[in-house]
Amino acid sequence: MTLDENSQPNSDSNSNSNSNSNSNDGATTLASGRTGSHPSVRFEQLPIEGGQLARLNDTRSLILQDVVDRTKKELVKDPSSLEVLLGDALHGERVRLKRFKPNFFTQSRKQGDRKLWDQIQAGMLRPAAEVERMKLLEQVLSHYSKEIGGNFDPRIYWLAIRAVPWAFSWLLNAASVRRILPWGMTESLQSRLAIVGEVPHLQKLAKKGTILLVPTHQSNIDSVLIGYIIYLMQLPPFAYGAGLNLFSNPALSFFMNHLGAYTVDRTKSNTIYKHVLKNYSTRILREGIHSIFFPGGGRVRNGAIESKVKLGLLGTGLEAEIDNRLAGKPQPNVYVVPMVMSYHFVLEASSLIEDYLVEAGKSRFINFEEDDSWTSAKALNFFWNAFSSSTGITVRIGKPLDIFGNLVDEEGRSIGPNGTTVDPTRWLTTRGQLCHSPQRDREYTRQLGETLIDRFHRENTVMTSTLVAYTMMSILRKHYPDLDLYRLLRLSLAQRTLPYSEFLSAAHEIHRRVMKMSDRGELYVAHEIMNWSLEKWVSDGIMQLGLLHDSSVAKVQDGVIWTEDMNLLYYYRNRLTGYGLGELIDEKGPRRKPGEHDSKGFLA
Amino acid sequence: MKKVPAESQESMTQKDFWRNSKVAVVGGGSWGTVLAQQAAPRCREVRLWMRNEDKVRGVNSTRSNSSYFPDMVLHERVHAVTDVERALEGADVVIWALPSSVCRSQAKQLAKFFKGHEILIHATKGVEEGSLMRVSEILHEELPCRRIGVISGPNLAAEIARGEPAATVVASHFDEVVESGMALFSSERFRVYGASDVIGLEWAGTLKNVLAIAAGSLDAMKLGWNARSMLLTRGLAEMVRFGVAMGAKESTFLGLAGMGDLMATCSSVLSRNYRVGFQLAQGVSLEKIIEELGQTAEGVRTTRSVWKFAQERGISMPITEGVYRMMDQGVQVQEVLNQLMQIPVNRE
Repeated sequence: MTLDENSQPNSDSNSNSNSNSNSNDGATTLASGRTGSHPSVRFEQLPIEGGQLARLNDTRSLILQDVVDRTKKELVKDPSSLEVLLGDALHGERVRLKRFKPNFFTQSRKQGDRKLWDQIQAGMLRPAAEVERMKLLEQVLSHYSKEIGGNFDPRIYWLAIRAVPWAFSWLLNAASVRRILPWGMTESLQSRLAIVGEVPHLQKLAKKGTILLVPTHQSNIDSVLIGYIIYLMQLPPFAYGAGLNLFSNPALSFFMNHLGAYTVDRTKSNTIYKHVLKNYSTRILREGIHSIFFPGGGRVRNGAIESKVKLGLLGTGLEAEIDNRLAGKPQPNVYVVPMVMSYHFVLEASSLIEDYLVEAGKSRFINFEEDDSWTSAKALNFFWNAFSSSTGITVRIGKPLDIFGNLVDEEGRSIGPNGTTVDPTRWLTTRGQLCHSPQRDREYTRQLGETLIDRFHRENTVMTSTLVAYTMMSILRKHYPDLDLYRLLRLSLAQRTLPYSEFLSAAHEIHRRVMKMSDRGELYVAHEIMNWSLEKWVSDGIMQLGLLHDSSVAKVQDGVIWTEDMNLLYYYRNRLTGYGLGELIDEKGPRRKPGEHDSKGFLA
Repeated sequence: MKKVPAESQESMTQKDFWRNSKVAVVGGGSWGTVLAQQAAPRCREVRLWMRNEDKVRGVNSTRSNSSYFPDMVLHERVHAVTDVERALEGADVVIWALPSSVCRSQAKQLAKFFKGHEILIHATKGVEEGSLMRVSEILHEELPCRRIGVISGPNLAAEIARGEPAATVVASHFDEVVESGMALFSSERFRVYGASDVIGLEWAGTLKNVLAIAAGSLDAMKLGWNARSMLLTRGLAEMVRFGVAMGAKESTFLGLAGMGDLMATCSSVLSRNYRVGFQLAQGVSLEKIIEELGQTAEGVRTTRSVWKFAQERGISMPITEGVYRMMDQGVQVQEVLNQLMQIPVNRE
């Protein structure tokens, strides 16, 4: 279902042609410190409009009331289950509160929660004839909806979008100032942040319907970056769900609270909470507020592209669209726009991959690294490196999809296979009527999830570092074909040292295969890989891999290449899995689905 | 296999809807004709699409499909048409009864006539050669509809045409597709079960063709019931292994579409797959058999693709391997059988 795969800007040559008008601006505004034409902006900049989110504050109480009412309606379909529902929630919350270690700022929240559940417990202990269960439910619902409900203050938004770009532009420019001087201003225009893909298409659709932006999630900095990217694309602000733990910092909490973030507490797993959260999300989409979900849930642990997506929140898109159509809204469509962020290095890589290996390998994985935590020094180091190195981050806005996963044209119409147009109303008609149908809608959402996984892989941009890591791992596997993953990870330093010439020839071969995949539209490759000579992109990749981590992922000296950290090598290599680019099986072998493992336990 | 819960009030309106629905049957082969006949009493209208104009005229004037069932009088609500657009116009349910070899090309051509709300139930037993894509996957890729299901089971068309009792399974990820299949095809002589394991149903219907070839060969050797039972049971174990590797549920293979269909197909001496096996065992070359049959038996192509895939995936399928060697490597059936009998025995 890839219709115009080749019409995409695939390399710098294309992006440059788009940026002609902007490049001059870039040079002048850089000096004056304005951020309006950041070098990564290679698309037409439109004036930002406040969007629907700006009106959130006026309607906030109305929305929350709606959410409570709707949840109530859903939950009390079967009144006898009310007792069980409340009991489950009470039990879950008691357990959660026991484990919850509040800090200075979250103390009051814990107390509030405890007070509520004390009341519920007291009520539950008395017979239903005396204390109406419905009242108790209402109490819980209004508590949850207030906790989840986001806020938006345009003034704070304007402040933030001026401050954040300033910080970014400082990092982008100041970090590379030492490079500007010798080579002149032009060098700094080589962007650290490349936003490529369907930006104009997204900008158009944002006016024709509600956007549901679904990014891949590798690192904690994703959230900040996405906010900045949305600003650069001159789109109105988006609402997004943020972990409740992020609200424990008062400064951060202040901004989030006023920028349309709503809270998602992953530690609350009871049915009532899930319903409220889902209904809140549906409600703001219905309001026409563009939203962001990380469909994978949390950050991917193994470094690969998402191979599973969470369907709960994703399903709210369809629910909102059906509501819109039933209400006869002029712009009922919800568009799902995948977004893939490709990094050379990920700040939390070590701890993520270790989590993953411990989980997946259990007794077979022997952990001998000490804890690798997220210190602010490391974070600063990351930002500095991210923006001072010659290529940083590629963000690709994927082809927009409709709520079923069909591609969408410029006018927002869904494109079916073989030149057909899909009318969503028809797809939402069951037994002759446009309606909600829970089972059908779950299945549509499941299919959307599958499509998203496929699109994520296709919109991925392969970086030099990934290709280097993949090559390195595949040679090691060829040398030790009998070892499974967990034994391979424990190779001695001598065993994981290879002649550089062998490495280069293997890199050449894998490069050839990846370029073929790119021709088939299965992925994108970074322009360095496409245009540079073998030696040049390989050494770029090795350099990038070495920038952040204490122990080098790949190092070259005296004609040999070795790796100091096998876990990290595995992590970065995994970004190229899920494509059937097998290492042991031959090229024609059956394609494994993303997330599947081969016979030796490696992600295939 | 699950039964869709019947809620008295709602199911009345549901039944009313299907009773008023229009059904289009794409493909006027034996099975397509029988399905059209089966659905006709339970809906408003059935349009049977056939390409051949003479046949259409024949069906509409004589009220029977003389090429397959000259004795079966078609229901008054069955109309044969040559124009696809007319066949699909206003259809609520489309029954796809074309052979797997033409599935993709036909779907590409017909795509523009679909509106999107149609429920699509296919009755094809087979997969795309090489890619091993299931028919429902192909239809999903080529047609602008999503509500796709499959009907499969031990259904020898001629027996159902005669009104003998039988049962089948309709599977889909969408409950409404299962519901429509049950509403349209159920009768006092024909039981329709519902299921959600689409992968299992489609693979069961495909893999049994391989075993039908084997069964034909075995019969040519004039062996008894023990040998046949061994073949079917161990063959079913192979089907399960392969099916599970493709994402199917094991229990599906124990049901009508698995064991049921396997028994029916392997006992039907008229089935093309069976005849291929029978003649192979008599030493006739595959080319010659295909030439005589006039068209490729589904099982021949399936065997090659499945065996290749099983080898790559490391799925143990000794019987399929045997059929493959007999077909493409000219190994004698006796030798294949000897080898199969010499495989080290383990726990079952």
